Amino acid sequence: MKLELHRLKVNSLKFGEKTGFADGVLTVNKAEILALISEDPLLGKNLDVDIAMPGESVRVMPVKDVIEPRWKLSGKGQVFPGMISDVETVGEGQTLVLSGCAVLTAGKLVRFQEGIIDMSGPGADYTPYSKTCNVVLVLEPSDPNMDKHDYEKACRIAGLKTAAYLAKSCADVKADTVETFELPTMREAMTQFPELPKVGYIYMLQTQGLLHDTYLYGVDVKKILPTIISPLEVMDGAIVSGNCVSACDKNSTYSHLNNPVIADMLKRHGKDFNFVATIVTNENVTLADKKRSSSYAAKLAGMLGLDGVVITEEGFGNPDADLIMNCRKCEQLGIKTALLTDEYAGQDGASQSLADSCPEGTACVTAGNANEVITLPPMSKVIGYPEEANVIAGGWQGSLADDGSITVELQAITGATSELGYTKLGAYTL
Amino acid sequence: MLKLITNNAGLHVSVSSSEYVDGSSLDVLIRVRGLVHSGSIILTHPLCGNLRPNQQPFRSVIVDAESRAVDLDSLSIIESAVNVYQSSKLVFPKDFDDKTRADYAYIDSELMRESLGRYGLIRDERLCNAPSLKVKEV
Repeated sequence: MKLELHRLKVNSLKFGEKTGFADGVLTVNKAEILALISEDPLLGKNLDVDIAMPGESVRVMPVKDVIEPRWKLSGKGQVFPGMISDVETVGEGQTLVLSGCAVLTAGKLVRFQEGIIDMSGPGADYTPYSKTCNVVLVLEPSDPNMDKHDYEKACRIAGLKTAAYLAKSCADVKADTVETFELPTMREAMTQFPELPKVGYIYMLQTQGLLHDTYLYGVDVKKILPTIISPLEVMDGAIVSGNCVSACDKNSTYSHLNNPVIADMLKRHGKDFNFVATIVTNENVTLADKKRSSSYAAKLAGMLGLDGVVITEEGFGNPDADLIMNCRKCEQLGIKTALLTDEYAGQDGASQSLADSCPEGTACVTAGNANEVITLPPMSKVIGYPEEANVIAGGWQGSLADDGSITVELQAITGATSELGYTKLGAYTL
Repeated sequence: MLKLITNNAGLHVSVSSSEYVDGSSLDVLIRVRGLVHSGSIILTHPLCGNLRPNQQPFRSVIVDAESRAVDLDSLSIIESAVNVYQSSKLVFPKDFDDKTRADYAYIDSELMRESLGRYGLIRDERLCNAPSLKVKEV
């Protein structure tokens, strides 16, 4: 399986007559995007498209999802299969990527959900999406009493359509860089690098219900048994986020496309270990599902003869139980585990960080304490609805001060404690 | 007998077999613990997904309420959940204004909906459209 990522580096955004790319500048025809997203009768009349650039005194809230513009130039299928394109398997051929650019979907859905992105100031350090040139969709439902499932889907599709449209509009431009990934068949992978340990990745996806769901080729992941996926399919948008909460540790569609665990494991493949397989699994509500999925994911790892797995969680609370079950069951099969999660240790950092634990979980990486409090200074411009700070998860009544500053826990900042490790803050080996 | 234990009044009336707890999330968990002590098995995880005890005032848990030997897995799960709630500041439904309370009730119901359907406990097919769960536009 071979995939080429053809990257155009977007350094700047502007509105203009024709959507296209030249000299690092992505020009966006606002009317075309509005026409594209207005096709959906579920979305209202007062839709808007705005731009938020790194370093600007701009705050976007409440943000639902972040999507990187991609478009397949060749190969089977199209980006975001089962969502805005056919269900054909992706991951082969050539895919155009507008690097450094993102589409943000913003608008009120359920009031305490969703997050904040500051493009400058102290809050900007906590979100990777302050470094991207952002096309912001401000959305509303056509009927205020619309079923929230319908509206969530409409917002999700609007973001994906816009991302695909932007990249498609640049398909005639030669890429700045081309990154090639070629992965062997499972049969070849099993015999490669016999001197190195075989490792895998257990990729946990949030699947608890409305605003807490993830889709695989358009299938609601809460309804799957754990399965094996190629990292290259992930890069083409096989996994799409329908998850809005918590903002700090939901895996946006952008972070799935750019999953740093996959990227780093591919870099170390053949050097430190033999990266054999990625197993996607879910985080459901019922204990029977938790048992079934963790047993099945561990069984797959065992069948593949893996020596070790990296396990990433999404969200917290009862998903901590899924993380621990995955860890314990793999360890019991003799498969070493390394866990990647974040912490909810209280504002003083003194409380228990995870809701569950096990003696076998001896290697755990944290992306930070989501309850840490931060004050975000006022911004010159707010795209969206600043009053939501008082009800957003991580905020409280009084979070929004009269001067426009906001005091919240990091939980409210989109991507602040990404459990895929898609953050700028952390410890680095020099 | 399968039964929902909840302090979410809107959800309670939409479920065919339900026991309403007039209190906090912790009160719900303590009631579930009492049932586990007398032989019930927990079917859904007692901890909330993605909201801390000091954020979500509602809690709902499905149990298989029978008198049998104590299920040690259920006991371990409910004890650790009670510990999480006892070590955290709690919020009560009355702490929120109507709209915000309705939001939290709605999400609590939504996250139980799939499980309730699977266990055949939904009385109102249009559970999420129940008037008591409607969130009015601000």
